[in-house]
Amino acid sequence: MNAGQPLLQIDDLVVEIQSMPALRGFSMRVARGAMVSLVGRNGAGKTTLMRSIMGHLKPVRGSIAFEGADLAASPRHARAALGIGYMPEDRCLVPQLTVEENIMLPLWVTAHLDRKARLEFVYDVIGELAEFRHRKALLLSGGQQKLVALGRALAIGTKCLLLDEPFEGIAPALSERLSEVLASLRGKDLTLLMSQSDMNHSRALIDVEFTIERGANLQPA
Amino acid sequence: MNKGMHPLLMIALVAAVTLCGRVLPTWTLSLATIAAANALISLGIVVLARTGNVSFGQGLFYAGGGYCVALIANAWGLTDAVAQVIIGAICGGLLGLVIGPLIARYSGIFFGMLTLALSMVFYGALVKSTALGGSDGFNVGRPTLFGMSFADPREADFMLYAVAVVTTGIAGIAATILFRSEFGLASLAVRENNLRVEYLGLSANRIISINFVIAAIFAGASGAFALMAQRHIDPQFAYWTTSGEFVFVAVLAGNQSVAAVFVASMALELVRSFSNLYLPNTWQLVLGLFLLAVILFLPRGIGSLWVRSKRGTAKPGVATEREALP
Repeated sequence: MNAGQPLLQIDDLVVEIQSMPALRGFSMRVARGAMVSLVGRNGAGKTTLMRSIMGHLKPVRGSIAFEGADLAASPRHARAALGIGYMPEDRCLVPQLTVEENIMLPLWVTAHLDRKARLEFVYDVIGELAEFRHRKALLLSGGQQKLVALGRALAIGTKCLLLDEPFEGIAPALSERLSEVLASLRGKDLTLLMSQSDMNHSRALIDVEFTIERGANLQPA
Repeated sequence: MNKGMHPLLMIALVAAVTLCGRVLPTWTLSLATIAAANALISLGIVVLARTGNVSFGQGLFYAGGGYCVALIANAWGLTDAVAQVIIGAICGGLLGLVIGPLIARYSGIFFGMLTLALSMVFYGALVKSTALGGSDGFNVGRPTLFGMSFADPREADFMLYAVAVVTTGIAGIAATILFRSEFGLASLAVRENNLRVEYLGLSANRIISINFVIAAIFAGASGAFALMAQRHIDPQFAYWTTSGEFVFVAVLAGNQSVAAVFVASMALELVRSFSNLYLPNTWQLVLGLFLLAVILFLPRGIGSLWVRSKRGTAKPGVATEREALP
């Protein structure tokens, strides 16, 4: 599926956080439908890259293009509507809302998606979520919250999922379940970009691996 | 949030409270009118507080609405109470529309201080403008209703009471519907995480601006009531102590229940007028003790008195809701 235009194209990206360089000329191409892993140590720039794609950090140099269109041109909150679902490392659920409301939150502001169909799709992929759909997010365990955050990313991410350290800080059983969920997404025309510090959980899942080291590519793609 | 009352039940409640005014003594009527008007503006603060921002400068819209109504009343002789409330609400809303998007980018203490600063700038401008009577302000005529004028003071008081209670009641019902709506829930998400909701496609800026405009509309209408009740307006409307009082009511009420805002507003007015009557020299002390008692024993506001019992056993972690107002 490498033919044609890549879904996500990042060229020579330089991002500074308070004038400390966090990315120093990172480039990557993610083909449509690929499962891509971004591997690097703590502080290598994985989260910085995700946050730059989502528009919360402005690059000093370089470009990020999604489906051929430069992302710098669109405001931060427009990215979700393009079909990019983001699962932050610290989950970021809204504690007072129920699980279902948390999943629906991005759909409320996106007019072009069929809410019911998206919700059914999420419950179809992650069956557990349907069981505690009416529970408040603050009553869930950390691992359950992680699943909800994934469900929320799935609801809005019709084309691309950015998962920041999805396997971090969850018990082995749940992490196996998570791998299973991610594996089930293959062939659903979804592109997956996940960051992780090691490859133990997902070696079988991954098509392409990028290694990031001190903010730059270790092995150029 | 509070999934308690049906809107129809609330309409019935508003009607009952309005009719109550026929049997209430006159002094209670004017007290209740002020309490309802204050509840309206404090409700706006609660609406805004759900996005995690507290405005310490609602006096700006309170005065803006009041001055607009007063000027129009004097220039064109428009004295209809309902029309005045609508004009006040529109003026407040327009001001909010100008200011909201400008300060929606700020959050927390910066947001609060900016609203405070803007209201004090407005206060300064009003004091300096001789055309508007400077620090003395000016008087307006008695309000009328649908062409009827009320010579009997008791009837005039009841008319104002009825309009205030109905308006505030409608605003309360609207706020309840708003809180339960998708937009209302999204506002809560902004409070939790101002920036990162944008990952989900929500524009925090837009949500805060809209809530800000709603608060400004309520404040403008409230200013119109204060004007009609006093038949006088002066720059004190925009002063920071005026704004502070509304925040007090919002803190007293907590953000769990719309009805709590009205109860808190009425309680504050009652405590104030009774302590003023019996302890003319130390009434502020009594007011302070009252506030202290509420904050100590009902940290989540007066609303927690009945919201907690309705939900049955307290859920763990609900304490996070305490952060609503600093």
